[in-house]
Amino acid sequence: MRAAAFLDRGTWLPVGVFLSLIVIFSIASPAFFTWRNFAATTGEAATLLIASLGATFVILMGSIDLSVGAVVLLVGTTAVAGLKMFPSAHLGLLVLPFGALLGALLGAFNGAISVLGRVPSFVVTLGSLSVFTGTALSILAGATIMFDLPIFDTLSLRQTVPHLPNIALWAVLLWLIAIFVGARTRFGRFVMLIGGGEQVARTAGIPVDRYKIYAFTVSGMTAGLAGIFAMSRLGAVGPSLGSDLLLNTLGAIVVGGTSLAGGGGGVQRTFIGVAIITVLSNGLNLVGVGPYWQLVIKGFVVIGAVLVSQDRMRGLIIK
Amino acid sequence: MASASTSGRPELLKVSGLAKSYGPVRVLHDVSLAAPARSIVGLVGENGAGKSTLFNIITGLTKPDGGSMFYRGRPFAPQSYGEAFAHGVSRVFQEQSLILNVPVFENMVLSQERRYTRWGQFVDRRAMIRVAEKIVEEAGLDVDVRRNAGAYDFSRRQALEIARACLAPKHLMGIEDPLVLLDEPTSALDKKDETAFIDLLTRMKRHAAFIFVSHRLTEIREISDTIVVMKDGRLSGSLLPEAADEKTLHSLMVGRDRAQDYYQTNRQRDVAGGRTVCTIRNLSDAEFSDVSFELGAGEVLGIGGLLDSGKSALGKAIAGVQPPRSGTMALKDRAPQRPRIGELVREGVGYVPAERLVEGIVPAFSLAVNLSLPSSDRYSPNGIWRLGKEKAAALDAIRQFGIRSGTPAIPLRELSGGNQQKVVLARWLQRDLSLLILDNPTRGVDSGAKEEIYRHIRGLTTMGVGIVLITDELTELIGLSNRILIMQRGLIVAEIAAPPDAKPTEHDLIPHMLPSAA
Repeated sequence: MRAAAFLDRGTWLPVGVFLSLIVIFSIASPAFFTWRNFAATTGEAATLLIASLGATFVILMGSIDLSVGAVVLLVGTTAVAGLKMFPSAHLGLLVLPFGALLGALLGAFNGAISVLGRVPSFVVTLGSLSVFTGTALSILAGATIMFDLPIFDTLSLRQTVPHLPNIALWAVLLWLIAIFVGARTRFGRFVMLIGGGEQVARTAGIPVDRYKIYAFTVSGMTAGLAGIFAMSRLGAVGPSLGSDLLLNTLGAIVVGGTSLAGGGGGVQRTFIGVAIITVLSNGLNLVGVGPYWQLVIKGFVVIGAVLVSQDRMRGLIIK
Repeated sequence: MASASTSGRPELLKVSGLAKSYGPVRVLHDVSLAAPARSIVGLVGENGAGKSTLFNIITGLTKPDGGSMFYRGRPFAPQSYGEAFAHGVSRVFQEQSLILNVPVFENMVLSQERRYTRWGQFVDRRAMIRVAEKIVEEAGLDVDVRRNAGAYDFSRRQALEIARACLAPKHLMGIEDPLVLLDEPTSALDKKDETAFIDLLTRMKRHAAFIFVSHRLTEIREISDTIVVMKDGRLSGSLLPEAADEKTLHSLMVGRDRAQDYYQTNRQRDVAGGRTVCTIRNLSDAEFSDVSFELGAGEVLGIGGLLDSGKSALGKAIAGVQPPRSGTMALKDRAPQRPRIGELVREGVGYVPAERLVEGIVPAFSLAVNLSLPSSDRYSPNGIWRLGKEKAAALDAIRQFGIRSGTPAIPLRELSGGNQQKVVLARWLQRDLSLLILDNPTRGVDSGAKEEIYRHIRGLTTMGVGIVLITDELTELIGLSNRILIMQRGLIVAEIAAPPDAKPTEHDLIPHMLPSAA
């Protein structure tokens, strides 16, 4: 399905953009091409990569998940609230499977409503974005909850490989698993088929509805994991956790070369998209572009990526 | 440059050297023909011969890759149907395009309303009615233009469409001698309406030139001034009606004498008293009601009917793609249940949909992926997809079906319609089938692939698979079926036996298909 596409522009364009950004920012800012910045950026990129993995499947399937950032926030909030509430229970790393499970439930909620209620996924996930965010903010009551557990430092911040925070290793591991799932499993195949031709898949007897719910569940699960990792990396959960992930996950997926129309691209491509989005944010920070202008630039980058990939899409993008 | 045609009349339209390819598939090679004013050119050819593409090019819907067109002696390259129509070129389709809930007169001036508006807003009803009456009268039709188009039956509406195509250019745009393309206008008419249609066309010849596509060879011979035959995208013959006996036309269309056994009737199985593979009871849904039948092992059950007969919807229901509102289906000795595609596929049912590009294949995906589509039970019994096994099966199917230029990794859009359809069929043949539902399995397929598909259908019946064959093509319906059900507005109105030695003719079937016979 994609071997022949090795040299098409969907593959080399993102790589070219990434290398150009590296060169430009290295020249523009002396702080950019340093080990220190490398560790900071890879930590940042790791959260984004984990959060984008499941969402890539959803987009590949021709739907969209706008609630990724909100799931990160709600899972992070719930986890930190749990840690504070039961300090004696030594929950520790148990919050990791808990985060995955809660995220999966939230994702299944999205999927079930979209599929069973025949509501376009952008409407459902836009609604649940608000529901999840509101719930989390009311738990936090507007405050940032800090905590200090050594086990989380080991999980995310320690550098088993010099200059590379552990969280990045976890992210790459999860990414490799996701690639395997996408390329070699029934789930991956069905998601691709639904994205390429939902009607065709239904007509051949593929349980489209069930696999759609699965894909949203996986998206929620990786978002939940991202929530725990983000929390452990930052040592705190505040109201703004995950707020940049809505644009950044979509941006990373689309810039990486997965088609918003579904059926084209894959999770293997999301890596380079994540690299581009992260380097762009980081570089703009370092050269002194303010956060508001960064929003403007990133927005244009996402729209531009869709425009560039448009000719490979068929028909309208209906989510 | 324009040479005189056989009839000696000036040429209205002349096309030369037209070529068109879709990807690697050439649908037109070097096609040239001329339509003299006030004459009828009959155009015949099998499905997939390129007739529709030719019409699409003449009416600006498709751009040719090469060749030229001259209309009224001037270069002609319409960019849209609107532009072609503005020059007096129009097309009457098999499916009608009158708007039923609107009066006839408004239909007559459709797309030209602005000629009857004042200050861009107010419609001059009376002027519209006057011109519509003039058109209807000149065509010799007894129609009240103030009534809704829906008040008239199919054949009358078709006559109105033809009258509009021939006369509206003159009355609305001042264009004399328009060119009218008729795309199988008679395939849904019975004998009486066919005669009326031929009369109308003969009358209208004074006002227009026609290129007329039909599968009814008798009618073509009766009405045409010249007959042009197309085969596999080329012109295979151009002859006068006197010289065009059915046998000659046939060999020009198919490229050889039609084998007695195009449909391999000698392989039709005698299924009397055999096992039943499926029992359908009282299936009802929006488009059909109370359908019941049984299907024997190795039997081909044909289902025919007009476009609105509900036969395709019935096929979708039996396959469980659109589970019916009520009614049951029982496979072999299993309990009756409401059909659902997922379970049925596991139990040995296959479905080949009519709309290949929308329901049958994902054109951007590889041959191997399209082939393994319904078979996750084979390629992924434990959740891991076995790519090696999938590839091996694809190579097998390519060999077994003779899929031209097929490789496991080739995106299916790069293959011709016929080869795509072979993949759809092969998909089911690698499964252990007991029932296969086919909806127009040879639509848009060249004659070679068609024969191959028929061969495989016969092969399946030998293995005891029951086949439900839904098709618009009557010859195919008759040739392949053991038994034929005719549907009309959602009901089965006739059951006709079609044993190899006593096949019914098209004229035996058509009266059952038409509302007037009910």
